Amino acid sequence: MARLNSDGQWIVLMGFIVSFALFFLAIVVNQSTIVGQTTAEAVLEFPKNDILNARSAVLSASALSSDNITLVRNDISSLSLSRKNAIVSFRVSAAPPGSPYTKTIEIHYNNGVTAYNETTHQ
Amino acid sequence: MVNTDGQLFTIEGVAAGLIMLLTAYIIVGSTSLYTPGDTHISDMQLEQTGRDALHMMNIPNNSATSGESTLQRIIKNNDSSQFGQTFLWFCNNRTDGKSDNFQFSADYYYRNNLTNAVSQVHITESRKPTGSEHPMRVTQWVQMDNSVGGSMPAAVEKRVQVILVEVLLWRD
Repeated sequence: MARLNSDGQWIVLMGFIVSFALFFLAIVVNQSTIVGQTTAEAVLEFPKNDILNARSAVLSASALSSDNITLVRNDISSLSLSRKNAIVSFRVSAAPPGSPYTKTIEIHYNNGVTAYNETTHQ
Repeated sequence: MVNTDGQLFTIEGVAAGLIMLLTAYIIVGSTSLYTPGDTHISDMQLEQTGRDALHMMNIPNNSATSGESTLQRIIKNNDSSQFGQTFLWFCNNRTDGKSDNFQFSADYYYRNNLTNAVSQVHITESRKPTGSEHPMRVTQWVQMDNSVGGSMPAAVEKRVQVILVEVLLWRD
């Protein structure tokens, strides 16, 4: 029959420390659920395809004549407002003097949640 | 024979057991990451496939010749059967050789410069939507030059313009 004695206290202490360490590690792992939820919401909300698509439409429109750019800008603004609930606008101007590029293109996208603004050169 | 020896060991045993049970419960419970709205994961996949298919159709086939993309040519010539064929071919191809079962309904929208009105033209569909599907909407901006030739509807102005192609996409 085991008697109450004071042998092996270090082993008992280490056992407790290890169990508490595991316990806290488990809580940390448990928190990752919330991280997964936040990430998924951010991914669902972000209009990646809309921005990429508007950007490529603007960049290919920037090669047009200035009259046609005005027409195309009104097309893109009206259609994205009525069909995609987003404000899209862009402006093509001459590049600053001394720049190796010929055109400066400013792109603005805003769907109320995500705003994307870009200045690029061609 | 019942006696009072080893009480501390018993208490320690119970405490250790509780800690182990609690730890095992938390670890097992946290192995899977829950994300809200599991259907949205497949929605995103559907949207990406449709977007890629439309984008591929909107890339010029040849930089040497006219530089016109398949999608531009389809819309300019009102070639709805070509649209259905190409779109489904891009979407339904799978690596295992079996065909996927995408269905779609496609329209495009254009703007009138005088009235600023936005109007719709139906391109084609592989199956009429009944309303019970769970479709994703994918869109593509297409730059058109309607000033010469082509057989777009008469209501579409004869000018350079950007139209919005919209495809409703679902699996059957």
